[in-house]
Amino acid sequence: MSRNAVILGGGQCKWGVREAHIMDLFQEAGKACLDDIPGLKPKDIDGLIVATSYAGRCSFQVNTAPVVAERLGLKPTSICTRCDTLCAGGSTAIILAKGLVESGNADIVMVAGGEKLYTPQKWEVFYSELASVDHDWEAPHGMGLPPPFFALTAQDHFNNYGSKKEDLAAVSVANYNYAATNPVAQMQKPLTLEEAMNAPSVVPPLTLYDCCPITDGAAACIITTDEIAKKYSDRPLVYLRGCAQVSLNNLSVNFPGAHLADWKHTRLAAEIAYKRAKISASDVKVAQTHDCFTISEVIEVEDLGFCKKGEGGEFCSSKQIEIGGKVPVNTDGGLLAVGHPFGATGIRQGTEIMKQLQGRARHQVKGADIGLTHNLSGANAEHTILVYGLEPVK
Amino acid sequence: MSFGIPILDNLYPATMDLWPIQAKEFNKVFPFYENLKQGRFTTTKCKDCGHVMFPPRGVICPECYSENLEYIDLPTKGKVLIFTEEVKGVPLGYESPLIHAVIDLGVEPCRRMITKIVNCPAGVLKRGDEVQLSVFEVPPTPIEKGRAGTIMAERVFFAFEPVKK
Ligand SMILES: [Zn+2]
Repeated sequence: MSRNAVILGGGQCKWGVREAHIMDLFQEAGKACLDDIPGLKPKDIDGLIVATSYAGRCSFQVNTAPVVAERLGLKPTSICTRCDTLCAGGSTAIILAKGLVESGNADIVMVAGGEKLYTPQKWEVFYSELASVDHDWEAPHGMGLPPPFFALTAQDHFNNYGSKKEDLAAVSVANYNYAATNPVAQMQKPLTLEEAMNAPSVVPPLTLYDCCPITDGAAACIITTDEIAKKYSDRPLVYLRGCAQVSLNNLSVNFPGAHLADWKHTRLAAEIAYKRAKISASDVKVAQTHDCFTISEVIEVEDLGFCKKGEGGEFCSSKQIEIGGKVPVNTDGGLLAVGHPFGATGIRQGTEIMKQLQGRARHQVKGADIGLTHNLSGANAEHTILVYGLEPVK
Repeated sequence: MSFGIPILDNLYPATMDLWPIQAKEFNKVFPFYENLKQGRFTTTKCKDCGHVMFPPRGVICPECYSENLEYIDLPTKGKVLIFTEEVKGVPLGYESPLIHAVIDLGVEPCRRMITKIVNCPAGVLKRGDEVQLSVFEVPPTPIEKGRAGTIMAERVFFAFEPVKK
């Protein structure tokens, strides 16, 4: 009998500027996760994958997984490891857990991700971000902090497809308003188009609400098989139908598209993930895409196939990303408003898609049966997609 | 300089450096930096399959895994395709304005290279402007040499600057 991976439950702590140690954040997330699955006890969990990138730098803690296991009272017997794919770490860990449980090498795996980025000396986090891109070839040009890279990306999109600042602002407005009632979001205030259009400049054409904040936070979820999940929960099963992770370049000089707004690697990841999940883009009812910047979401709705290439600006500003639109996107507030503690983000996204498919999301998409999560990581150097559904792939 | 952490007094954390560690003791692409000191912008070419790569590689050709690599010169002049200027909130270690551009050096694989633009005030650069290589000194790396003590390994890095009209 084939073993099909499902996401059994998940949760996150409050994200933002947190008065806490990274291990406090992991404990809060672990508790939120187990609170979501009454009946599941720490001793039932046989595997742990910890997604964190900056624990090694900002918390001076490498080999993070055994420390997290101990703090959470876990005694893993199948896997206990750390995974670093920066912004895609959480999604990568879910992909790895899927493989482990489907192959029979693990039964119940906790995937936990987190970062403590605000350090006692604030300069440290900004400086440490030089490690996020190719240190020797791109960081010395000041490309560690990502706004300049995505500002150039936005310019390429404006120039090649005629999108405009209003389209970017529409993404901020949608995502901030989704997060306004989300008690664990970093940003919990409604945003108007006027406020978004008149925000202070960061790197032209990007302004304040175009950029996700720096965030402390953690999240955790449980990946297991459908047969095991039935013992713990009578909620609808949410299957991990298919996935892909594509890296065609790291340094931006080798960017695979014709220009910075042409995301060939996103299209390839989507093509492979859809094929493995046996779906097409038109089957996707709800998506959590990597809105590290508003321009990212504009390009993602195109290259994930929700609209034609070049029409992402119009798709977003005509409210197709909002409830009632063609594909509601980032329905919990996304990176822009919930925040972005790198390793935790994919887990937050997967948990939101699980809730959407189970009919218990805060901003519920009616009849959602297929959803996806998407991450980009580094200087737009890698794309990671997971397709979730209420049925296994047959 | 003391941060109240006694063991760090007078120590320079070389692995937390903004700039690459370029010395041959630590890096097989050191010829790139030696060439840069002469004002040459170079990369490696595979002598077996002809592939030209950027960044230069210290060991193998990524296409055919040959170790038979040679340094070749890249153009030192290019054209600005797009750019962005950061005036406020420039990250630690950089001066305002921090200007980034995608430039075209006219040859593969450097048709769309992101670089910092230096020696250029804010509000002056335009798309299509010609830029040229600019090489500048950066602080040396202190390298422990056993009984010989600590040597200071000189370093340079590059950006591009507007060609004066
Ligand atoms: Zn070769």
